[in-house]
Amino acid sequence: MTREVQAILLLLVGGAVLRISIGDTYLNYVKEAMRPWLLLSGGLLVVLGALAFVDVLRSTRRSAAVDTDPDELDPAHPMAPPDLDDDLVTDGPVDDADHGHHQHHGPRAAWLLLLPVLAIFLVAPPALGAYAAARDDTNALPPSSTQEVPGLPPGDPVELAVSDYVVRAVWGDGRTLDGRTVQLTGFATPDPAGGWWLTRMMLACCAADALPSKVKVLDTPDLPADTWVTVTGRWVPGGGTQDADAIPLLRVETVRTIPQPKNPYE
Amino acid sequence: MTAPPTSSERSAEARSRRFRLRAVDVLAGLLVVVLLGQRWLVDLFDSPALQTGATIFVSIVVQALPFLVLGVVLSAAIAAFVPEGFWRKALPRRPALAVPVAGAAGVVLPGCECASVPVAGSLMARGVTPAAALAFLLSAPAINPIVLASTFVAFPGEPVMVVARLLASLATAVVMGWLWLRFGRGEWLRIPRRDHLVGRSSWQTFRLTATHDFLHAGGFLVIGGLTAAVLNVLVPTAWLDAVADQPLLSVLALALLAVVLSICSEADAFVAASLTQFSLTSKLAFMVVGPMVDLKLVSLQAGTFGRRFAARFAPTTFIVAIGFSLLVGWWLLT
Repeated sequence: MTREVQAILLLLVGGAVLRISIGDTYLNYVKEAMRPWLLLSGGLLVVLGALAFVDVLRSTRRSAAVDTDPDELDPAHPMAPPDLDDDLVTDGPVDDADHGHHQHHGPRAAWLLLLPVLAIFLVAPPALGAYAAARDDTNALPPSSTQEVPGLPPGDPVELAVSDYVVRAVWGDGRTLDGRTVQLTGFATPDPAGGWWLTRMMLACCAADALPSKVKVLDTPDLPADTWVTVTGRWVPGGGTQDADAIPLLRVETVRTIPQPKNPYE
Repeated sequence: MTAPPTSSERSAEARSRRFRLRAVDVLAGLLVVVLLGQRWLVDLFDSPALQTGATIFVSIVVQALPFLVLGVVLSAAIAAFVPEGFWRKALPRRPALAVPVAGAAGVVLPGCECASVPVAGSLMARGVTPAAALAFLLSAPAINPIVLASTFVAFPGEPVMVVARLLASLATAVVMGWLWLRFGRGEWLRIPRRDHLVGRSSWQTFRLTATHDFLHAGGFLVIGGLTAAVLNVLVPTAWLDAVADQPLLSVLALALLAVVLSICSEADAFVAASLTQFSLTSKLAFMVVGPMVDLKLVSLQAGTFGRRFAARFAPTTFIVAIGFSLLVGWWLLT
């Protein structure tokens, strides 16, 4: 791998990281807290790539002064770089008589960095949706504190995270939800048994560790998978309690189709 | 590379040089083809399974990149700015003592496993006993304060989980260091050489080392992320439920799951907590094995220290980590 390619790869990877973290696309993959680190590391890679490019230009200019035909494919050519690959062998000896013209040792594996770049720029994988949510049976993690679940904040309807609704319904036996109208936002995951689940994925770190929260909605027509909706409705018993696999119920009053929110995860 | 090259080697070298001189053309051609084929590519990724796999792949790489950059910046700083004899003075002279000291020093590197591989490589290149650098490599992602804090949050009401994780991880790291000291052979380990990356100034050395390490480790991170994403989508989750109530099999199952999932050590506690049907000991094994042996990490190790190293080190670490998880789990978690 030549130094031009190394410089281009650094610029491409850094550019791809900046591209997703300057907009909101990065939220499809990682948590919001990662943003400053993505900006910083993307910026650093772009700077390293730019400096590597300057090195290449400088040595090209120098070689042009020595020889007018730098493209000549002559192994004995003074500018033919001893392009020693250090993929799985130790680096060979290097002629470092000229420190200004650093010999390059691009590892072949670095070519693979093109894959995430291409995936980001061309495929732009979407946020995890119904397919991933349906794969996971665990639905309701036990609440992270042993204290009593606090009562719902005021509001009619009161806006809740889907995971919050699930925890209150399953581990709080629905007591804090009884008699209140709630508003939840998520996407539709078809239930193999008929109807659909209102679903939202929850991230701990990145989309590889996403966990779904599912609520079975009643009294509403079917929707295609991955349709984003805001629903209002009331909790009804019957979805099961005190069980991590339980899927609580919601009797729906209104359903509104919406575009995917800025942050698709909770 | 000390023996004079034979003529066949030389012609192969010339051929590959001719190829590599045109690497930039290859790159340009590849980009043109891909740009022209974009429609087709996007259609290809229309199936939900492929899209899920692509999302997980990009997520693993995007999540790991800042930590990898942190790691190569630290390793480049060690190469460029820390004086040659520093580590010999900082660590105990006897390797058998240096191992636990380096293992405990893992507490100070607040990153996940991707950061520790280039740092360990740089430490070896600067004269730290490989056994001590390896103990640091294993312990740093497992016992740093961020990881312990997230474990505390993920297991409410079970603070003993934090202690168990700390003890089992540290013990595994130190024992692996000692095992390397006793049985490891120099020829298995390719210590990353840095001589060719020495620049005119410390600053230039820093820049060249960071560039080289990033490109190298980044490629292997991609291999690991790709494998993890494919397995993540292909492995059915049902087989997990089948073994959940078998004491030994469940530990092995979660340890293997940790290898496959390749999630960041700072997040694995939440995933472990979500595996509600499993025993605490098997969750402990998940959290001890994950930061030390997972697909992206083994790929990074193979890239940095050579395949012969990774092929021996990773399976041994896997077994030792399960052993200490069982031991500590039996002691603290039952």
